[in-house]
Amino acid sequence: MYSKSAFPPLPREFSGRWNHKRYSVIRPLGQGANGAVYLATQAGRKLAVKIGTDPLDLLMEVNMLKSVQQVRDVKIGPLLCDVDDLLIDGKPCTFYSMEYLEGERLDRYAGRVGREWVPVLAVQLLTRLEILHAQGWVFGDLKPENVIVTHGDKQVRLVDFGGVTKKGNAVRQFTEEYDRGGWQAGDRRAEASYDLFSLAVITIRLMTPDEQWKKFTREGRTVARLCDIIRENDGLYPYRMPLLKALQGIYKDAAAMKRDMVTAIRLRSSSGRKKERGSAAGMVLGGLFVASLLTLAGTLYCFWF
Amino acid sequence: MKQPTLRQILLVTDGCSNAGISPVAAASLAREQGITVNVIGVIDRHEMGEQGEREIREIAEAGGGLSDIVYPTQLAQTVQMLTRKAMTRTIHQVVNKELKDILGDSTLERLEPEKRVQVAGMVDELGERSSMEVVMLVDTSASMKTKLPAVQQAIHDFSISLRSRSGESRMAVCSFPGKHQHLDVRIPWTDQVEKAHQLTGSLAVSGITPTGPAIVEAIALFEHVSLPAPLADRYRRESGQRAEDDSEGYLEDHVF
Ligand SMILES: Nc1ncnc2c1ncn2[C@@H]1O[C@H](COP(=O)(O)OP(=O)(O)O)[C@@H](O)[C@H]1O
Ligand SMILES: [Mg+2]
Repeated sequence: MYSKSAFPPLPREFSGRWNHKRYSVIRPLGQGANGAVYLATQAGRKLAVKIGTDPLDLLMEVNMLKSVQQVRDVKIGPLLCDVDDLLIDGKPCTFYSMEYLEGERLDRYAGRVGREWVPVLAVQLLTRLEILHAQGWVFGDLKPENVIVTHGDKQVRLVDFGGVTKKGNAVRQFTEEYDRGGWQAGDRRAEASYDLFSLAVITIRLMTPDEQWKKFTREGRTVARLCDIIRENDGLYPYRMPLLKALQGIYKDAAAMKRDMVTAIRLRSSSGRKKERGSAAGMVLGGLFVASLLTLAGTLYCFWF
Repeated sequence: MKQPTLRQILLVTDGCSNAGISPVAAASLAREQGITVNVIGVIDRHEMGEQGEREIREIAEAGGGLSDIVYPTQLAQTVQMLTRKAMTRTIHQVVNKELKDILGDSTLERLEPEKRVQVAGMVDELGERSSMEVVMLVDTSASMKTKLPAVQQAIHDFSISLRSRSGESRMAVCSFPGKHQHLDVRIPWTDQVEKAHQLTGSLAVSGITPTGPAIVEAIALFEHVSLPAPLADRYRRESGQRAEDDSEGYLEDHVF
């Protein structure tokens, strides 16, 4: 048996065998290593439907979506709506449906609005991680593809709970490019510092031009190489302290890293403002940037003013 | 529920076997003894060829395991994913059997989704806690030369995954063809493989690829399989009892 069996295409209309909810598929939303997600409507509302290559993996994701408690003001991931089987060519296939997060993938979003947004998005992610960690979970497969920035309120949300792992266990799913083990910086035991490492790599990755990233990582992944990138990149340099501490596993919790990131953002914006005024993109984005910071006010307020 | 010990052979190869017993037969022999055989085919620019692909698939099928064909850069992640999937499958089978005993003929697929979600959680937890023994069986015939650095990296990477588990885990690394036997034990049972460990040192230049015989010998590494005393001596020394120095290994092979 091949490990990667392709998933069958979802029929345009289907109903679950057990709960009898009826879905109409609108379009595919995305696809990863373990499944495919589609936009669908059910009883008049838009939902995201996921089918997977491995039924047990998919059921584990459901398990994790149910286990992680959503906090009222800060949403972490999508809400679970339904788990059921549908018949494709007479064969049962498990799926689940969840809240549709209307927005853009983190990497595409950052590519569009500009790199200066990345540290702010990192802070938003740290808020989510802090809540997740406090409940005894580690996200595991943290990467830009698994983060959505919602339209409207510009909040980050985590999708794909396939990597969510109970603290102390081995991380259930990860991606080499953001994996502490893959960078030879430690093991894959689920602990807060595992996610913080991934977050640091995401921050660096999103602020480094593609060609430069490829060049730097061609000869293998090591923390020393990441340090080289930080040193040579003016955008990253102001954040070297929190990034390095995360890469070295010094932070024991997300809150500590968040404090340092916020401080770095504040220092940068007060010292670097004059220099940056010349950049056209900076001008255009200025308004938007401030607007979004205001939505972050809950966390940033005391540092910013 | 009793925690099963999971035993796997992970074969990494780039082509067809051409000596000794059929590797497909050898894999079914392993399966009979409670050992799952997974196979990863590594390819360069060239495709593997239909025959090679078929052999890889058939070995895994007979061995109750999974197979995949990948480029060297994907090797580390594939080793980890395949092993994990195969482990989950084995546990799933155990759980399914127990469920049958409890619920009569009702298998997991017949349970309502909410219940299945709970079973999945149980399978996952059992997988995390169970003991795991994996023998990596690496084809070191001449054509593998350019791929060995990636294999080495994958071995080290896999050892990181193993030591992150809560359950007991250990691995051994063997290469084939061996200097004198069909297979050489390169790293005896251990729970930690140093990054620096060199596989490249002893590439076989002969044209033979005795995949089947190597699988049969790899079975002997597992302690639950009974072996005559001299064979047990050869295969079952723990690391630390043996210097991982090649020349010394060579001497020991002579003594044997
Ligand atoms: N609830 C959702 N709302 C909107 N888009 C989603 C949602 N869940 C997933 N996606 C999109 O689908 C893609 C693949 O889903 P994901 O769950 O990450 O699959 P995989 O487990 O295979 O990686 C994601 O990268 C994301 O862009
Ligand atoms: Mg994903």
